[in-house]
Amino acid sequence: MLDRRSFLTTSSLAALSLAAPGLLGRASAQGAALKIGVPVPISGAFAANGKFATIGAQMAAEEVAKAHGIEVSTLDLDTEGKPATAVRKVQDALAQDGIKLFAGGILSSESLAMGKEIERGGGAFMTTAGADEITGADCNRGTFRWSVPTFGAINQTVRPIIEALPDAKKWYTITPQYVFGDGLLNAAKAVFAEKGIEHVGNSYHSLTDKEFSGYLTNAIAAQPDVLLLLNFGAQSSDTLRQAVSFGLKQRMTIVVAWASGLEQFEALGPEIVEGVYFGAQYWHGADTPLNRELVARVREKHGFNPNYSFAGSYIISKLLLDAAVKGGSPEGAAVIPQLEGLKYAGLTGEEEIRAADHQVIKDYYLLKGKAKDAMADKDDFVDIVSSGKSFLSPEDSGCKMPA
Amino acid sequence: MIYLFQILNGIGLGMLYFLLAVGLSVIFGLLQFVNFAHGAFYLLGAYLTYDLTQRGFSFWAAMPMATLIVAGVAAAIEALLLHRIYKLPHTFHILVTVGLALVIQELAIIAWGPLGGSVPAPQGLQGVVIAGDFIYPQYRLFTIAFTAVLAGLLWWLLEGTRLGAIVRGGSESPSNMALLGYNTMRINTAVFGFGAGLAGLAGALAAPIRGVEPFMGAEALSVAFVVVVIGGMGSYTGALAAGLLVGIVQSVMTTVWPEGARLMIYVGMALVIAMMPRGLLGRA
Repeated sequence: MLDRRSFLTTSSLAALSLAAPGLLGRASAQGAALKIGVPVPISGAFAANGKFATIGAQMAAEEVAKAHGIEVSTLDLDTEGKPATAVRKVQDALAQDGIKLFAGGILSSESLAMGKEIERGGGAFMTTAGADEITGADCNRGTFRWSVPTFGAINQTVRPIIEALPDAKKWYTITPQYVFGDGLLNAAKAVFAEKGIEHVGNSYHSLTDKEFSGYLTNAIAAQPDVLLLLNFGAQSSDTLRQAVSFGLKQRMTIVVAWASGLEQFEALGPEIVEGVYFGAQYWHGADTPLNRELVARVREKHGFNPNYSFAGSYIISKLLLDAAVKGGSPEGAAVIPQLEGLKYAGLTGEEEIRAADHQVIKDYYLLKGKAKDAMADKDDFVDIVSSGKSFLSPEDSGCKMPA
Repeated sequence: MIYLFQILNGIGLGMLYFLLAVGLSVIFGLLQFVNFAHGAFYLLGAYLTYDLTQRGFSFWAAMPMATLIVAGVAAAIEALLLHRIYKLPHTFHILVTVGLALVIQELAIIAWGPLGGSVPAPQGLQGVVIAGDFIYPQYRLFTIAFTAVLAGLLWWLLEGTRLGAIVRGGSESPSNMALLGYNTMRINTAVFGFGAGLAGLAGALAAPIRGVEPFMGAEALSVAFVVVVIGGMGSYTGALAAGLLVGIVQSVMTTVWPEGARLMIYVGMALVIAMMPRGLLGRA
């Protein structure tokens, strides 16, 4: 029975649990030798991603501290998924906490805004956000990006499927109408044109849509062989869930070009994931030395498999901290030269930070959902179909890196 | 032909919107109380259905259980907290119920995690109905039929029974009802629990279609308010007409102007407010 006293106690705990990561992070930052800010949404619609990201950054900080015998701490900055809030938090961290290293920014809009601010403040920023502009037209000296942009995501998902399904000539797309969705759509159209694929239709939707039955009805009427979903996060889950309920898995191949991986599969469940193709930046089952080590350490310490939010935050934090140690200072002027052109054994295999646009050259994965009874454990949702690197040249991506 | 399909799809969507909004309309119409926690009760109904089906209960058992639990929780909250602010201005109603919604949302995150989940459609309703080029999930057809029957029962309950008369009397003249020996505080508690229970039922019914995630309440609340404003605050038949209108407009617009489909719901609301300030069927 929930009485008023226990109800209020519980609600206070709920509020405290939201605020705690930031409070603890700020407390632990006192007197630290090396500090890294983690600006991610810890509250709001993307809080789940942000919470995993803070744990990933914390693990990277602990490893760097142990490896180099120095004190390293993280400072969690709740961006709430809002660019204005993100910029304000970063400004405070630069001015009040003296932080110069920042690893975070899950949403493109917040990452673009923070990148400019951190560069102005003489720091270094690495993100996992998706918009092409981050290492394209809006690239800057202080900003680096680990995740593969839209061109690579489409090329590593659409091309292998076209080759695997030569009779699938008609494709339909569902696209969120903003810069990220258009980036994916334009890249897909280019591949369609090159491969002789008929693009039988596209439905744009707004970023607030939750109901996709109307768009799916449009798609059904176009009678495609493949339905390509170009939205992400909760919207791609909603679209896929509703597409499956409309029986589309039995009538066409469904491809989610930009999936968030394990966290999305857990929310969808194996019945929906089965048979669907997913493009992904990271998968814990990838067979690379660093990934095997990370998965083992995370399982031992936290008891779960790392997801994209965790792994992405871990690797970008580690890259920044290692560069600061090597450069002898967390200042952008010392860190940036260490990162430019760096080749390293990454989570997806051999990775390289391209000096010309600060884009990490890494693999993107095409995954396919497996049947529930074929899953080796509760997280074994997919098989890796293929992986590879596809990137525009820095010139074609539109980056004119300031001197 | 595609427009006919979209109209049919819109009717299905509209019935869900009606169910979502009718509880809000009942609470406002009978208690004159603006309940911004309505979306949170929808969320709670969906999550309880998810939880119960995960524990092995069938959907048919989980749905009424979730509805009753939500109604009970809402009635308890009303009796402990909300009845104290009925006589205060609407701004206090908004302040307290927004806070309540946030508490319920965060408790859901603590209880079920931040990632969300899926609820399978019940056995026997997992397939689709195919009519020419038109495909429609059996479960969505079931929700249309279920909501239509429920709409009739609600109308009968509120307009055609002694219980409905007592509830309406409690709303229109609490002092006279008290003189007649009725406990108006209990009536109010029951009405609030009933309205919130309808939101919980909407959440339970929507769970196999939309899945569950911690922020589903806010989206549901915005749709419910649009339907109630278009239909007329407190109007039962208005909620039905507006729910169908909103569903059909949204669905048809996904073919005519897909990127503006959701926008048109709010444009429609603005037009109704401008031309008919009390809504389509609102009381004077």
